[in-house]
Amino acid sequence: MFTRDQLITGNKTLEQITNDICEPVETVPTIKWVALMLGANSTLLIFVSTLIMIIGLGMGLMAVNHPIGWGTDIITFVFWIGIGHAGTLISAILFLFRQKWRTSIARSAEAMTVFAVMTAGIFPLLHTGRPWLGYWLLPYPNQRGPLWINFRSPLLWDVFAVSTYMTVSVVFWYVGMVPDFATLRDRAKNKIRKIAYGALSLGWRGTARNWSHYEMTYLLLAGLSTPLVLSVHTIVSFDFAVSQLPGWHTTIFPPYFVAGAIFSGFGMVVTLMTLVRIGFPKFKDYVTINHMEVMNKIIMTTGLMVGYAYATEFFIAWYSGNPFESFVFINRAFGPYAWSYWIMVTCNVFIPQLFWWKSIRRSIPAMFVISICVNIGMWFERFVIVVTSLHRDFLPANWGDFIFTWADFGVLFGSFGFFLTLFLLYLRLAPAISIAELKPVLNVGRDNNGHDASSGGTHHG
Amino acid sequence: MSEITENNQTQQNKSEKLWVGLEHYYDDPKFLEMAQKEFLSSPLSSEPDSEFGRREFLKLMGASIALASTSCIRRPANKIVPYVKRPDEVVPGVANYYATSWLDNGQGFGMVIKTREGRPIKAEGLLEHPVNRGGLSARAQAHVLSVYDPDRARGPKKNIVNEKRTNSDSVEVTWEAADKEVIEQLKKGKVRILSGTLASPSTESLISEFSRAFGAKHIVWDNLGADDVKEGQALCYGQEAVPRYRFDKAKTVVSFGADFLGTYLSPVEFTKLFAKSRHAGPLMSQLVVFESLYSLTGANADTRVSVASDQLFASLMGLIHEIVVVNKKSSYAGNAEVQKWLEPYANVAVNNGVSSEIFSQLAQELWKNRGESLIISGGLNIPTKQAVPLQIATNFLNSLLDNDGKTIDVNISPNKTYKGSFKALALLIDEMKNGQVSTLIIHRSNPIYSLPVSSGFQEALNKVGLVIYTGDRNDETGRISNMFLPDHHSLENWGDGEFQKQVYSIQQPTIRPMFNTRAFQDSLLTWMSLGGSKSAAKDWHDYLVNYWKSNIYGQWTKGAKSFEEFWVDVLQRGVMDVSNLSAKRSATSGARPFSLGALKNSKVEAAPPGTKLLMYSKVGMGDGSMANISWIQEFPDPVTKITWDNYLTVSEEFASKNGLKEGSLVEVTANEYVEALPVHIQPGQHSNAVGVAVGYGRRFAGKIASESGEEVSNRSIGQNAFLFAKLENDQWIRSGMTVKVTVIEDKFHPLACTQGHHMLRDKKFEVKDRNIIAHTSLTEFLKNKKAGIHQHGELKSIWPEHKYTGHKWAMVIDSNSCTGCSACVVACQSENNIPAVGKRYVLEGREMHWIRIDRYYRGDPEAPETLYQPMLCQHCDNAPCETVCPVVATSHSSEGLNEMIYNRCVGTRYCSNNCPYKVRRFNWFNYLDHNDTLKLAYNPEVTVRSRGVMEKCTFCVQRIKEAKQTAQDKKVPLADGDIRTACQQSCPADAISFGDNNDKGSQVSQLFNSDRASVVLEELYAKPAIKYLTKIKNPLMAQVSSHQEGGH
Repeated sequence: MFTRDQLITGNKTLEQITNDICEPVETVPTIKWVALMLGANSTLLIFVSTLIMIIGLGMGLMAVNHPIGWGTDIITFVFWIGIGHAGTLISAILFLFRQKWRTSIARSAEAMTVFAVMTAGIFPLLHTGRPWLGYWLLPYPNQRGPLWINFRSPLLWDVFAVSTYMTVSVVFWYVGMVPDFATLRDRAKNKIRKIAYGALSLGWRGTARNWSHYEMTYLLLAGLSTPLVLSVHTIVSFDFAVSQLPGWHTTIFPPYFVAGAIFSGFGMVVTLMTLVRIGFPKFKDYVTINHMEVMNKIIMTTGLMVGYAYATEFFIAWYSGNPFESFVFINRAFGPYAWSYWIMVTCNVFIPQLFWWKSIRRSIPAMFVISICVNIGMWFERFVIVVTSLHRDFLPANWGDFIFTWADFGVLFGSFGFFLTLFLLYLRLAPAISIAELKPVLNVGRDNNGHDASSGGTHHG
Repeated sequence: MSEITENNQTQQNKSEKLWVGLEHYYDDPKFLEMAQKEFLSSPLSSEPDSEFGRREFLKLMGASIALASTSCIRRPANKIVPYVKRPDEVVPGVANYYATSWLDNGQGFGMVIKTREGRPIKAEGLLEHPVNRGGLSARAQAHVLSVYDPDRARGPKKNIVNEKRTNSDSVEVTWEAADKEVIEQLKKGKVRILSGTLASPSTESLISEFSRAFGAKHIVWDNLGADDVKEGQALCYGQEAVPRYRFDKAKTVVSFGADFLGTYLSPVEFTKLFAKSRHAGPLMSQLVVFESLYSLTGANADTRVSVASDQLFASLMGLIHEIVVVNKKSSYAGNAEVQKWLEPYANVAVNNGVSSEIFSQLAQELWKNRGESLIISGGLNIPTKQAVPLQIATNFLNSLLDNDGKTIDVNISPNKTYKGSFKALALLIDEMKNGQVSTLIIHRSNPIYSLPVSSGFQEALNKVGLVIYTGDRNDETGRISNMFLPDHHSLENWGDGEFQKQVYSIQQPTIRPMFNTRAFQDSLLTWMSLGGSKSAAKDWHDYLVNYWKSNIYGQWTKGAKSFEEFWVDVLQRGVMDVSNLSAKRSATSGARPFSLGALKNSKVEAAPPGTKLLMYSKVGMGDGSMANISWIQEFPDPVTKITWDNYLTVSEEFASKNGLKEGSLVEVTANEYVEALPVHIQPGQHSNAVGVAVGYGRRFAGKIASESGEEVSNRSIGQNAFLFAKLENDQWIRSGMTVKVTVIEDKFHPLACTQGHHMLRDKKFEVKDRNIIAHTSLTEFLKNKKAGIHQHGELKSIWPEHKYTGHKWAMVIDSNSCTGCSACVVACQSENNIPAVGKRYVLEGREMHWIRIDRYYRGDPEAPETLYQPMLCQHCDNAPCETVCPVVATSHSSEGLNEMIYNRCVGTRYCSNNCPYKVRRFNWFNYLDHNDTLKLAYNPEVTVRSRGVMEKCTFCVQRIKEAKQTAQDKKVPLADGDIRTACQQSCPADAISFGDNNDKGSQVSQLFNSDRASVVLEELYAKPAIKYLTKIKNPLMAQVSSHQEGGH
């Protein structure tokens, strides 16, 4: 039987835990946080102004063209949706599998999910020619006669998949925070905080009845979001797999996309958690190096899965005997966009292999750099899929090039501003680690090697 | 009485009134005035020297503020008002069609102009016209847009020019004032009229009347003329003429540098005729092309021989040598004189590195098909010094093969559109220099643009008292003229044409003159009447009718009909209906005797070694007269697929030797003229020649033609290649001069190509195994009708498929007829309101053409074959685009059309991604043209698309609907051929058939189900409604060629 090291270090008392976690919410922000916030805000400003320009003047500002109908917007959409996956995986699937180490990072990972999906949600709308008509994609009773949405279109499945995912993620995240909001309410010293957190905690009293209902709701929501982890990216992958474009039309896409999403999601969690550890040093006792190591292991494993998928694609392209298909893959690896392919392979397959070494797995600077690489690599994975397949398809006469414009950079980098602004606000407004869930995983009253027979769904706050 | 009383009263008043001073007492007027103004600012009355009173001022201010702010609240209400008195022939919403004709630099077209509510919106070929027979060129399609060109002249102007005719300032004048000035000068005599060939019998007659009245002389000069042909004909047959070439009668056609399918003489007519000889079968003709550059004709050749530009003449001589000396054929076989003439060319093939088998085979073929073969040569790209000798040799070979009178017609109905000559122009320049010209009228000619400074034309103009220019804009020539008196656009004016002997066509106005312009002919008539020599006609229309009555009516042989009836008939038909004309035209005449004396003139001195510069004209741009038409600028050249530029075409070998890349900027020096040009690497071009297209570099043509979008600019689209020409021994050296090309280091000029060209040499990405175009050789085809077609057994769908119970629209494109001329591209653009997007956006891959002509090279890049494939929406039965649209903005009609619903489209572009043919176009920006005049060119039947929506070919659904409606109104079933799509209508090769596939008798269904028909990318099972007929090549040395693989 494998046992884990202590999940929380520093021999914390219950009170210390509450104090530590509530501190960022209850104190004046540090200079570091303000600097980060200003940086994020200015990036957000770039995002907003680029959006206004694109909506005001037209999609033509971006690099998309004929034949490359989808570009940075769709790539970045899939990228952010993928990021979102780790959150649900950590909070729901690991919860169901009783992986207690998830506790320290679950809240932030979920927040990341929510914000990532929010960021992602902007892009499908933005990439349409007439975003102001985006609501036409929703099936609602309307006065346009027999016009109705097309249930055969994967884009429509996308609308449902992403909006469901968004809803469930938000609810799951919020429900998990209710007991902690109540804690904040109880600790609040001024009226505004009291009212705000009082409203957010939905009248939580911490009674046994409260707890009983809460535990059941949380379990049910975990069960509900688990299939979503698989379904969302599967359906996103259908956008490509259901079309008939060589390089898109392949059956490996659903598992490949889900693996890639988890991979990128954990990459982003590691990036953010290293930053949180720097920003709030006290959190180092809760988000320990052991937590980071476990995530790095997952990154390495999913990296291998993704690498396997890349290899399979090539094999199938050759094995199918389809000249268009084989051409697309040769073109990916050796064509004009080979650089993007090799960035992808290097970042996603080769670099995570460094995590075979324990010292690298446990080195904060190393994992920060590698996780950034993973993020870059996964963005380029979508670039490779979208652009290299489209730019040279069936008829060579309409092959084309994809040249980034300032607007592409604007929305890509700007979206990080949007995401980080939300994330930084979250760090200041909500307890970044679940206080209620953390306390049961303390080793108080247990011997270090003992197995906690009473663990599971029952936590005592 | 009353006076006295009044006086008394004033007296009385005076005595009673109180006064402040003596002035007051005596009612001094000055005082009264002052008293009134004492409290000066009367709010009501204004001071005499100010415009407004205070209240008025405030009132106006208030009102204007109110108006200014309210005008931003609401859009002004534009009322649609029906006609109160409707013109007889106008029914709102119903198009009117007028038959007319147009001469485009020697290419004559009979046209039908579709007008809506008085606006011409589309040109169609006139089917009954014996010359173009319904076909139109891309330029003729764009002619409709040129009437709305916002940079066209809006009225007469007087240019203030200095002695050197350089700095010019234009002032507007009235026609009366202009006439007064002109007539003063005309009275001095020594008048010259310079124009291109007019080919209008009535205008020519008017000009000769005018000439008699003022002692004028008419000089005709064609910029892209056929001087060499005429001179050759004169030398060989004693008859100066440009023949009618009859490609339909020829089984073997050999061209020496003549781009007759693209730009030479009358390409639309030639394409029509040539296509007739290309019917797949044992009698299919064969086209052999010898050339240095890569022309559209070369691209369509069955066998294309790339020869050095110096060796063009020698190659022809080698061929004659093969027939006469080696094979000892023809009556000249033993002729010592001929033998002596041919002797030096015995080893031409060896000297040129061309397979000698080509010569021997071609010689055999030609001899076998004597009387049914055709040798043609000529064009701007022929090295000038070889031009006349080449014509003589061509004529000799044609006579020798008994083609004269059979495939070459000079006696029955020869060409009448190339009457100009360089020599006449040279004489005019001399006259001008000697001060023998006091008035020069320049009509439909732009000599300042198309003549180099060294011609001395501009200098000679300084000696001319008054230069009158009647062009359509104050362009290069306009700016140095004294009087700019704009002529009507040809669609605004009456006229006629005799493009070939006895083929009389009429030119009808289709719109009232849009601006304050005056017909050139009316100008002449006005000046004649002002000059005292009254013509019988009161205006130009009157003159035209009288001319037809007295000169042409007499030739009309059909039977008794009054002139009035005849005239209405002509106007309706657009062309004089001579019943036996077609029979007469298809007859053959006897061969003319060839005068062997001409051979003396047929010698070409050895050219100095080195690379030679050849000028050529492009299918779209031609002579540059339509440079300000966006459709023409954005027209992808059929060979290079490049838009918005001219460039130096070089061979691959030349490029690699000089380290040139596509788009490298080089300095080209020829005839002491230097110009910087970007490089285009053209596969198949001979390494000894570099080419540059004329027609670009129009500095004063307008906003479109200038790169900066200003009306007058130093930065024009492309460079003016005419300036490389030079006058030498009475010859205009325009091609074949030695050229120096120096690389401007690291400077690139991107070329906006609509098709990727950069991957050409990348062996890794060779386009193999794609089976995109079904093609085969004639020998293979005769063995197996399905040769070249790539087929995949039976394909099945697991879903229920669409059922078509009524009509099922389908199209068949005959790849074998299609020459790739791209007239359909502009026809579609005109019909469907397709915007031109500009060079920058073409570079970004955003051109909007609904139909494009895909060009594929095949084989060795040094001598590639070209295959053309018109690509448009395939209207698939299992359309991949339809399933992926989330909002059903593209749907399937019950008649098999793939319909695009613009106002439902949100613009996800998924449909385009999923379209294997990539025929959908997206509105990246708002391309709507709000220009006052350009917007009039829109076809009201077709929605003008807004930003953010997808669009694509609709199979001209508006035409389908219209034809169905008409059939319904007439209560007759829709007949095959009632619907003609815009591309089909315009196609000079009749390569496109369209119709109902469910109608078993229709042409389209027969072709659709024929063995030669196949679909593109069949394996995707999209089931397109367009099938392509296999392209068949009929090369010499079929057994040696690479055509063996066929299909599988």
